[in-house]
Amino acid sequence: MSNTSFPIPMLHSTIRIMAPFLLAAIGGLFTELAGMLNIALEGLMLIGAFFSVVFAAATGSLFLGILLGIGASVAAAYVFGFISLNLRANIFITGLATNLFAEGLVMVLAFQIFGNKGVIRFQNLPKLPVLSVPAIQRIPVLGDVFVGHNVLVYVSWVMVVIAAIIIYKTAFGLRVRGTGSNPDAIEATGLSPRRYRMYAILISGFTCGLAGAILSLQMGAFVPGITAGRGWIALVAIYLGNKTPHGILIACIVFGFAESFSNYAQGAINVPADFILAFPYIITVVAMIAYSIVRHYRLKGSER
Amino acid sequence: MDRKRIANLLSSTTGLALTVGISFLIVVLLILVLSDEPGRAIYYFFIGPFTKAYYFGNLLNQAIALMFTGLGIAVAFKSSTFNLGGEGQAYSGAIVATVILLALPNMNGFIGGAAAIIAAVGMGAFLAGLSGFFRMRWGTDQLISSFLVSAAVILIINYLVTGPLDDPVNSMLTTARIGRQYQFLRIFKPSKLDISIFFAVAAAIGTYFFMQRTHWGYEMRMCGINREFSRYAGINVGKYLLVPMAISGGFHGLAGAVTIMGTHYRCLKGVTMGIGWNGIAVALIAKNNPIAVVPAALFFAYLEAGAKAAMLHSDVTFELAKIAQAVIFFLVTAQALYGLFRSRKKVGS
Repeated sequence: MSNTSFPIPMLHSTIRIMAPFLLAAIGGLFTELAGMLNIALEGLMLIGAFFSVVFAAATGSLFLGILLGIGASVAAAYVFGFISLNLRANIFITGLATNLFAEGLVMVLAFQIFGNKGVIRFQNLPKLPVLSVPAIQRIPVLGDVFVGHNVLVYVSWVMVVIAAIIIYKTAFGLRVRGTGSNPDAIEATGLSPRRYRMYAILISGFTCGLAGAILSLQMGAFVPGITAGRGWIALVAIYLGNKTPHGILIACIVFGFAESFSNYAQGAINVPADFILAFPYIITVVAMIAYSIVRHYRLKGSER
Repeated sequence: MDRKRIANLLSSTTGLALTVGISFLIVVLLILVLSDEPGRAIYYFFIGPFTKAYYFGNLLNQAIALMFTGLGIAVAFKSSTFNLGGEGQAYSGAIVATVILLALPNMNGFIGGAAAIIAAVGMGAFLAGLSGFFRMRWGTDQLISSFLVSAAVILIINYLVTGPLDDPVNSMLTTARIGRQYQFLRIFKPSKLDISIFFAVAAAIGTYFFMQRTHWGYEMRMCGINREFSRYAGINVGKYLLVPMAISGGFHGLAGAVTIMGTHYRCLKGVTMGIGWNGIAVALIAKNNPIAVVPAALFFAYLEAGAKAAMLHSDVTFELAKIAQAVIFFLVTAQALYGLFRSRKKVGS
């Protein structure tokens, strides 16, 4: 391997790895802006991952699989939202509940349907189509990094743009933001903050379902713990991205690169697999502490 | 005043009954859908733990660790600090205790055992204390930082258990066995119930007195009710972002050590899995009251024992317990279920 070719595959896989982070974080941004700490991202993703690959294999259609996977995740998000909002439960506890429920449900179903709680492989699973644009592919570095991914990766980038438009350019986005920053004002205009919170939760269900679908469909299998803390890391990406879509994009590039880097490090030097798995968590917690230190001193500075 | 108390008690018991009832209903529905012999599965899920002394003893044994983790969470929540890293703290307690006991094969049982327990408590307290420190110093979100630290720690311990500390004699993913002198006395053979259940109950009573009758406990509760007010009242508020977390982590480390010394005698991969999360549910059911943690832990252990019995005697899998527990998690803080008898006070949405 020549010295120059090493970083390009690493950047290429960064783009692939960051897609689920990006989707989950964008969905989580809506709930965050609506004033809720949504720790259910992880569980919603897991449900999306399981049902999309199972339905894709059962129906032989990727599209149906993704659709039903998202449907399952949105349904779970609805239950999460209903109990949190309508039954007035603590949203942080119900978020935990969603994660535990997703884990339990997936294991029980995997065991009863496939007789297997481990890795489930699917024969005849259609492959995610890869997008290739020859015109861009010919550009040296750019082409190598950004072309040749499966379509869902590009969908995730499009979703960031759509989310930014919804949040900043539509009345709906304004109301979601208002629900978080000033629910009384929303109430005074005759709208229900609760309804906008529910919409935000359903949106997070939608994006997390898609994020999960990417994970399992690109692997062509379902693995227990397939989400591997990505929902939590996405949550941190929202904070690090200062609760803006472009900030989240940058944060996800950083986390994607960190994971891609650790994958390559594993190939180069002999690092135990568990350390590789622990690396994203460590990077995330360090980033989070660094962020809070910076914010702490900035706040102190502005007080003077 | 008295009527209000009765109404409160009534509403919280009916709420709890509803929560438990709904979770049971969902388990029954799942069994009906998934099992080929639903009658048998349902029977063993609910009655199974009481059919044999062996199952019942194991149920009690399972509750011990949950009592410790539940107490840890209750102390943290009561002080308005958030510890989501219980899983990693308990696991770290388990591995630290195991390593120390393996390093001292010929030590006196009491001295070595005490050293292992102290180290396990210290390790758990340190890990949770980190998150407390970050929040105290820089305002870092405690919820997320404690989870992330714990998630990383779990993976590193997995590496230790399956790598450098793996017992080559044994084909399982586990460390070697700890010495006989460190193994807690079993009091209800052939079940795994050991003497530490008395320690757990004593700890619950001790925690109750600590929270209600001591200066620290009082200040912690004050901070839990209103941190801003406590600051103006002259309480060192920063200290109580750290201390409850450290206590909470210490309890989790203790739960890990007790799991090793009382039940497994070796640190298997993922030996403490689930006791951290379930500790949170236990504390919530107990409404953060240390005494009530004891029955709440027994109830959670019952769910697991039931699922185990159902798995052994029918065609359903153990993870049914997870679903039942998750449903309880979902509903246990739902004010709508708990406010049925609270007519006067309207809870804002």
